[in-house]
Amino acid sequence: MILKNIYGLRWKILPPAAGIAMIGMAALALVTAPTELIEGDVQRLLYVHLPSALASYFAFSVTAVCSVLFLLKRDFKWDSAAQGAALVGLIFTLLTLVTGSLWGKPIWGVYWQWDPRITTTLVLFLIFSAYLIARKSTSLDGDKLARFCSIYAIIGFLDIPLIHMSVRWWRTLHPQPIIAKFNPALPDEMLLVTLFSVLAVILVAAWFITLGIETELLSQRLLKLKAITKANISEKS
Amino acid sequence: MSEIGFLFAGFAVFWAGMFTYLVILQVRIRNLQDQVDMLENNTENQNEL
Repeated sequence: MILKNIYGLRWKILPPAAGIAMIGMAALALVTAPTELIEGDVQRLLYVHLPSALASYFAFSVTAVCSVLFLLKRDFKWDSAAQGAALVGLIFTLLTLVTGSLWGKPIWGVYWQWDPRITTTLVLFLIFSAYLIARKSTSLDGDKLARFCSIYAIIGFLDIPLIHMSVRWWRTLHPQPIIAKFNPALPDEMLLVTLFSVLAVILVAAWFITLGIETELLSQRLLKLKAITKANISEKS
Repeated sequence: MSEIGFLFAGFAVFWAGMFTYLVILQVRIRNLQDQVDMLENNTENQNEL
């Protein structure tokens, strides 16, 4: 009941909260945060790169959870929700790759390296691109397609722990974790701006996921309505 | 490109990504709206017949 009431407030809370947080994030990242001594101003890309990566993990987690719920309950609303969240995850993965690449050029001298973390992130992007393309282009019937896609999404989600652990398991150029450890390796001011940026982008991701899910659910209702109307017309004639 | 250039490009891509998603969604919702209108018209025509 409480969860339903909170979900009912989504349109009133999420858009303004996300908008204000994003403006605050831009101001903090570009003005307030101190300039890093070695990397200089380009280090400020961290404030969009890391939150984008976390937002993509969040969106794909929603896809995976909704896929599991679809397989358990066989209710198509969970399948639509999984699909809505997957597109948001894909956009944030692309933003992670592009902002990382723009950071890499001045720091490493190249836009792209076949580094374990970057490569596994690209694999995540390709996995969920295929997921969304498959949904639009196969001739399988609804239930079969939804089942295949759910299983595929759950397997694809397993790439996320692999991305997270890649910098620990393999030799990599990508910086080691700076926040997800006992003593964060960032000065307090930078740490606060990073945490605020993560919060702001997660809020935006939550808003986008909600929008995506609602659109998919609407599309599904429309398909049902079309089928009913078609059946009624053929009954009359 | 200078350091500031890369920083500007990164933030520009980030904001552009956000707006692109909203545009995709708007096109999708408009498409759904058109389909609802079409369905309404079909139903009205059927009722008239």
